[in-house]
Amino acid sequence: MTLIAGIGFAYPWLLLGLLALPILWLLLRAVPPAPRRQAFPAVTLLLGLGDDESLSDRTPWWLLLLRMLALAAAIIGLAGPVLNPEERDSGSGPLLVVLDATWAGSDGWEETRDQITARLEEAGRGDRTVAVLRLSDPQPLQFLAASDWARQVAGLTPNPWQPAPDQVDQAITHITEATEDFDTLWFSDGLDYPGRERLTEALAARGALQVLEQPGAAFALAPPSYADGALELTVERSLPGPARDMLVQARGRDPGGTLRSLAQATARFDAGATNASVRLSLPSELRARITRFELVGQRSAGAVALADDGLRRREVALIASESEDEGLALLSPLHYLRQALAPTADLLEGALSDLLPANPDVIILADVARLPPAQEQAVIDWVEEGGLLVRFAGPRLAASDTARSEEEPLMPVRLRLGGRSIGGAMSWGEPKTLAPFEDDSPFAGLRTPEEVTVSAQVVAQPDPSLADRVIAALGDGTPLVTRKPLGQGQVVLFHVTANAEWSSLPLSGLFVQMLERLAVSSAVGTPEATSLEGTVWRPVSVLDGFGRSREAGTLPGVQGPDLVAAPAGPALQPGLYDGGNQTLARNVLRAGDSLTAASWPASVPVSGYSTAQERPLGGALLGLALVLLALDVLATLLVSGQLAQLRRSTALVPLLAAAALALGALSPRPTLAQESGAADPVALAAELTLAHVLTGNAEVDRIARAGLQGLSDTLFFRTSVEPSTPASVDLERDELAFFPLLYWPVTADQKMPSAAAYTRLNAYLRSGGMILFDTRDADLTAVGATSPEARRLQQLALGLDIPPLEPLPPDHVLTRTFYLLQDFPGRHPRGPLWVEAAPPDAEQDEGIPFRTLNDGVTPVVIGGNDWASAWAVDSNGRPLRPVGRGYAGERQRELSLRFGVNLVMHVLTGNYKSDQVHVPALLERLGQ
Amino acid sequence: MTQPAASDASSPVAPAADLRHRAEGEASALPPLLVDAQMLAGAVLLGEHGRRRAGTGDDFWQYRPLQQGDSRRMIDHRRSARGDVQFVREREWQIAQTVHVWTDLGASMRFSSSPELPQKIDRARLLALAVSVLMLRGGERVGLTGGRLPPRSGKAQILRLAEMLSREDDADYAPPEHRAMVPHARALFISDFLGPFDELQLALSKAADRGVRGVLLQVLDPSEESFPFAGRTRFHSMTGGLVHETLKASALRDRYLDRMAERRDALEALCRTAGWRLGLHHTGDSAQAALMWLYHALERSSA
Repeated sequence: MTLIAGIGFAYPWLLLGLLALPILWLLLRAVPPAPRRQAFPAVTLLLGLGDDESLSDRTPWWLLLLRMLALAAAIIGLAGPVLNPEERDSGSGPLLVVLDATWAGSDGWEETRDQITARLEEAGRGDRTVAVLRLSDPQPLQFLAASDWARQVAGLTPNPWQPAPDQVDQAITHITEATEDFDTLWFSDGLDYPGRERLTEALAARGALQVLEQPGAAFALAPPSYADGALELTVERSLPGPARDMLVQARGRDPGGTLRSLAQATARFDAGATNASVRLSLPSELRARITRFELVGQRSAGAVALADDGLRRREVALIASESEDEGLALLSPLHYLRQALAPTADLLEGALSDLLPANPDVIILADVARLPPAQEQAVIDWVEEGGLLVRFAGPRLAASDTARSEEEPLMPVRLRLGGRSIGGAMSWGEPKTLAPFEDDSPFAGLRTPEEVTVSAQVVAQPDPSLADRVIAALGDGTPLVTRKPLGQGQVVLFHVTANAEWSSLPLSGLFVQMLERLAVSSAVGTPEATSLEGTVWRPVSVLDGFGRSREAGTLPGVQGPDLVAAPAGPALQPGLYDGGNQTLARNVLRAGDSLTAASWPASVPVSGYSTAQERPLGGALLGLALVLLALDVLATLLVSGQLAQLRRSTALVPLLAAAALALGALSPRPTLAQESGAADPVALAAELTLAHVLTGNAEVDRIARAGLQGLSDTLFFRTSVEPSTPASVDLERDELAFFPLLYWPVTADQKMPSAAAYTRLNAYLRSGGMILFDTRDADLTAVGATSPEARRLQQLALGLDIPPLEPLPPDHVLTRTFYLLQDFPGRHPRGPLWVEAAPPDAEQDEGIPFRTLNDGVTPVVIGGNDWASAWAVDSNGRPLRPVGRGYAGERQRELSLRFGVNLVMHVLTGNYKSDQVHVPALLERLGQ
Repeated sequence: MTQPAASDASSPVAPAADLRHRAEGEASALPPLLVDAQMLAGAVLLGEHGRRRAGTGDDFWQYRPLQQGDSRRMIDHRRSARGDVQFVREREWQIAQTVHVWTDLGASMRFSSSPELPQKIDRARLLALAVSVLMLRGGERVGLTGGRLPPRSGKAQILRLAEMLSREDDADYAPPEHRAMVPHARALFISDFLGPFDELQLALSKAADRGVRGVLLQVLDPSEESFPFAGRTRFHSMTGGLVHETLKASALRDRYLDRMAERRDALEALCRTAGWRLGLHHTGDSAQAALMWLYHALERSSA
């Protein structure tokens, strides 16, 4: 590549073509523009007219210049010019490539890897040996041929932690142990960490040090915290910069088990700020589903915050024995539980039978001696499926015979009659204090304060299994808290009351901690290191540098305090840890951590990744040449005076059309105004409106609308029903609730409604709407043949909530809602009519012409008599379609209208005419 | 801008019928043209003007009783029904005039400057036939100059005229046909008169010698009047026989317009000496106006 004036050329010899430009100038200048041929009969008058001046036989200089420029642009463009051609000086001697290899660089890891590959190639060209040192996982230096390392570059991955001090020490050891001096290329992720200065010095001591820093700030998500009913998410960045929005996504499994984004929020960095917070308020069900929070667009472990039980608010049902007297609030057995649990759990209170279906996580029975048998079985089932039942003793339990003689499922131990009182006025001895918790107790590690005393308790019967079940005891060894597993759940009994009557335990902080350890409540935010003393947490899944979760495999367990307080490293990888009945998340950032950008001593040259990218200019120049040539076309036309003609002629039209098309393609497509099929809801609801379903067949729709108009007119004239203008309903779009009756002409090629439309239709049918299906084929199907419309109707009705049907019985209320009818002709006289089947137990009384049918408003009426055609009228009220012949036909039309009136009356009045009150009047009219 | 004569279909009948149809349409808007026959002392050819129109009593001569030898067809039943005597309606003896039409069918006429405009030849044919129709309807005898279609009266002549007018001449500028003109007849020459001037001069002098008077109608395309050309242009006649190339057409416009005006002055002078009238028609204007003008011109030049 040849460099000319800072621009490299791929084919510099092509530039010689520029020498030809002056020759071209002369040539072009000599050739005037081609003449236009013009037929002109009056040429006879022109003969002999000479040109005055010889000006236009030379091409104008500016046109020549334009052409020259176009040619020059084309020549230079073809020569392959490149802006910022890559050029590096290469050193000699061994080269050490140092990588931070932390999560902070994983977002741009591809670029880093490309850079490393490029540097390795360069080193390979210079015959330099290379060693690679990952600071987050330092290994002894191995100086190998660059090509050997190049093969391994693909396997280099970032780790989800920052180099810890001992790793820095290790790295410095490796550096000082190297046998010969080397140059160093340090790919920094741009974050500061303790010991970095020492590393810098150690590396600078061995040779030239160059730092390549990843551009841009690193972003990380702090562990989410829960405060005041909302999740608070904090995003940190390493460099203060301009205002910026970061999208935080909460991901988890939806009820179907698919991992998806459940919620998202935007955290806004103010200009110059290094952290941004956003609050996310979610219902607790949704919150419990969240498994991780992610920064959208950042692919690193730091941009992931795992969610643990801290986010999950447990549902705790509090149940006390029902007492008639209204006790004082502070004496209520539930008061202290409420106080202890309210900040961290969702409390449910009420009757047990109401609360059990809500499937709470924990049920607390405070001084409930015995449950009704049915409820007891339900509670046992619930515990066996994983519920936690916590019981507190009390006077009632002590006085009852619960678990006296034999162990009950819902009681961990057998109890002795009466319990005991210690240190009271009538007893010997002092109130007892708590013994330190055993190591295998869930309360292990909690400090037992001196001031917690127990003055009364229920006492467990000595049993062989008692020792296993005690998880807390008094100083004298009497069990205070016992526990037994039951199915997948467990039952816990506090042998004291839940209020301060029997002991001061509920008054102490220990009470809250014990409830936490029992996972009755869950800690808010990260638990204190001290409260995790003595626990060991097993890693369940850990994050890699890119923020992907993977199985933890055989990683060792972690001490509780370390989990919270120690910095992440190979021994404590960010991930999800299981502590028996609770999970804790360890994230890259601890609560309160912030990111600091690395600052380098002035002696160390720092460069970003090669910022000046190579930019080939050839395309742009060739494009310029094309534009200039296009201009030349216009200019040539202008010079020869044909531009005006061109404008007038139609030749320009396709050009303009093409330009307009291009513009149209660029500009956003205008949104189609949604045509309104039905009028606005207020108008529809104000008056009774008949409606038909749009089938997509224009003629059928027109007739249906005209038919409903005819029916509306008839109703208006003859009855007190005064419908407004009928409406056409698009099932996909329109609300159906306004229409008491839908007329649905079925066509064979009708489109199937969507699932949403079916939902609406079913809701419509359930809420009292009626659909009159009309297959309009009674002339064909009367003899039992089926028709395409009927088959289509079957497909259409498959998704509808339609009850069993029967052919209209002669005593159906539809025969007498307004007119007394026996058949229901439309344009076809005698098609069958199907309505909802009568209940099988309907009976006909003696002397009554019809059965006692209650609540029989049929949701669908199905027939094929093409009623709309019989009803249809034009704008002047004249019938649109012929029906039958002569007077008989008009009679048929009249009957079809009467059917319509009856139908609307049936929809509006229901089974009113079915009421036996009307029997005498009807009998009279029926002449019986 | 050359365009082949669009109306020139392969069969001559279809364009002829079309032409006649359009000419009838144009002619129907005017009352029949009655050419005054005062100058027909020499041209004593008889023609009949059967006119049945109330108010114009000139054509009715007299009723006379039925005589021996009259055919029964001649009985005027309307008059005879008033009494017992049968009458024959006798018509006035009237004199028909002969009109010679010449339309330039040369290639130079097959020009229109834009697709929206008709070709000059189409307009010329239309006007010629329209006038012919008017005259034939008025009972005149109409024919072409040159003896290819001698003047005749009657509706059949319209067809013959239409057929003859539908032909085309291959020559670039057709010279006016001046042969076989009936003395003291009327003549109508329609052309663009852009061809050689002396031919026209000859034709008109010969016509004047025979006492033929008439009208010259110059039909021009609007572009021939405005010369809207610019830039380097190579002008050629319709057949390509004449070529003129210019480097700057716009510079020619004034001189071209001058020459056009000169040509018109010459035509005017020629007409004046021969006792003819000169009309100008542009294809961009309405044919009806031109026909109107022709109607008046033929009427007046006969006075």
